Amino acid sequence: MNIAVSAAGDSLDDQVDGRFGRCPFFVFVESESMAYKAVPNPGAGAMGGAATKAAQVLAESNVDIVLTGSVGPNAERSLNALGVEVVTDASGTTVREAVSNFLDKK
Amino acid sequence: MKELVIVSGKGGTGKTTLAASFAALSNDKVMADCDVDAADLHLLLKPNILKTEKFISSQVAVIDQESCLACDICRNVCRFDAISEDYVVNPMDCEGCRFCERMCPIEAIHMEKQENGRWHIAETEFGPMVFAQLGVAEENSGQLVSLVRKEAQKLAKENNLNYIIIDGPPGVGCPVNSAITGAQLAVIVTEPTMSGIHDLMRILELTRQFRVPALVIVNKFDLNLENTKEIKSYCQKQQVEVVGEIPFDPGVIEALKAGEILVRFSGDGKVSEIVADIWKRVFNRLQLI
Repeated sequence: MNIAVSAAGDSLDDQVDGRFGRCPFFVFVESESMAYKAVPNPGAGAMGGAATKAAQVLAESNVDIVLTGSVGPNAERSLNALGVEVVTDASGTTVREAVSNFLDKK
Repeated sequence: MKELVIVSGKGGTGKTTLAASFAALSNDKVMADCDVDAADLHLLLKPNILKTEKFISSQVAVIDQESCLACDICRNVCRFDAISEDYVVNPMDCEGCRFCERMCPIEAIHMEKQENGRWHIAETEFGPMVFAQLGVAEENSGQLVSLVRKEAQKLAKENNLNYIIIDGPPGVGCPVNSAITGAQLAVIVTEPTMSGIHDLMRILELTRQFRVPALVIVNKFDLNLENTKEIKSYCQKQQVEVVGEIPFDPGVIEALKAGEILVRFSGDGKVSEIVADIWKRVFNRLQLI
């Protein structure tokens, strides 16, 4: 499955950034292979409506789940409409740990 | 490090008045004024500014007068009537949508970043403070709120301080989202009016969205006891604690007019005590999180 993680940096060993709308990067991870790709978040530099810009990036990338800390109401609605599941307990770990914690729970 | 954010939904309920008193009653913290659209905490805390930085965020179009063909395409596509008859973009009207830049047949238009405001790091009698002010007619910005919070977090770390008290913006828009996200506790200041009640419901919905626990303070509660009762009953149903009720007192206005923090204002007695009491309760809840 394709997992997106809101992150402070562009690798699996960077910390999760709990802020969905304004995190610097999204790291996209394919759960079987742990192959990953980092994309800068357009919401990070946005004056307003950051989280919806971030949601757009996810929409364009065929992701099933996003692991993050907190999500604003408009963004959550957009993500739900896109069929992306939102998991909001990923703070305080690295991207790699967040993905493995999530997979362990499944 | 824990962050306490003071919000309201409806504006004018008393956030900044209380934030200033909380600053005077507490230790071990950084104050952050995140109402960047109408910053006024500094009027009460009287900070000594140590550093000022520009906040550069939006862009406006600039037309190269020498190359311009006067073909009028840009003027026709601009939805904001921002381009004059002699092909000069008015930065006050330009929204930075870049439509003109894209449509100009000879690429004579480019975008320039604008200074939208300033932010400051300061020292006050009560500890460090970060605040920001948007420029005239500049749009309010979740990005600037985010910046103020990041700087406050940096300051707290550098100075080994354990708390940040955020004076939040009114409403429930993007800047408020930016002020609430990731905070440990929200204090919602409301008043017993119809819009106060209605906007309390909206801000509570927002704090729930961000999973930030909330406490409620009813300010000027005795101006309408019926409405105060309704607020308390609503809070009870929602399992939200009403952590204080402050009576209306003209002394509060006198303190503000004198530019004084309420709990330090010699002219006032009873309301100061109530506020001090409320702060004890709020801080206690904050420590328990």
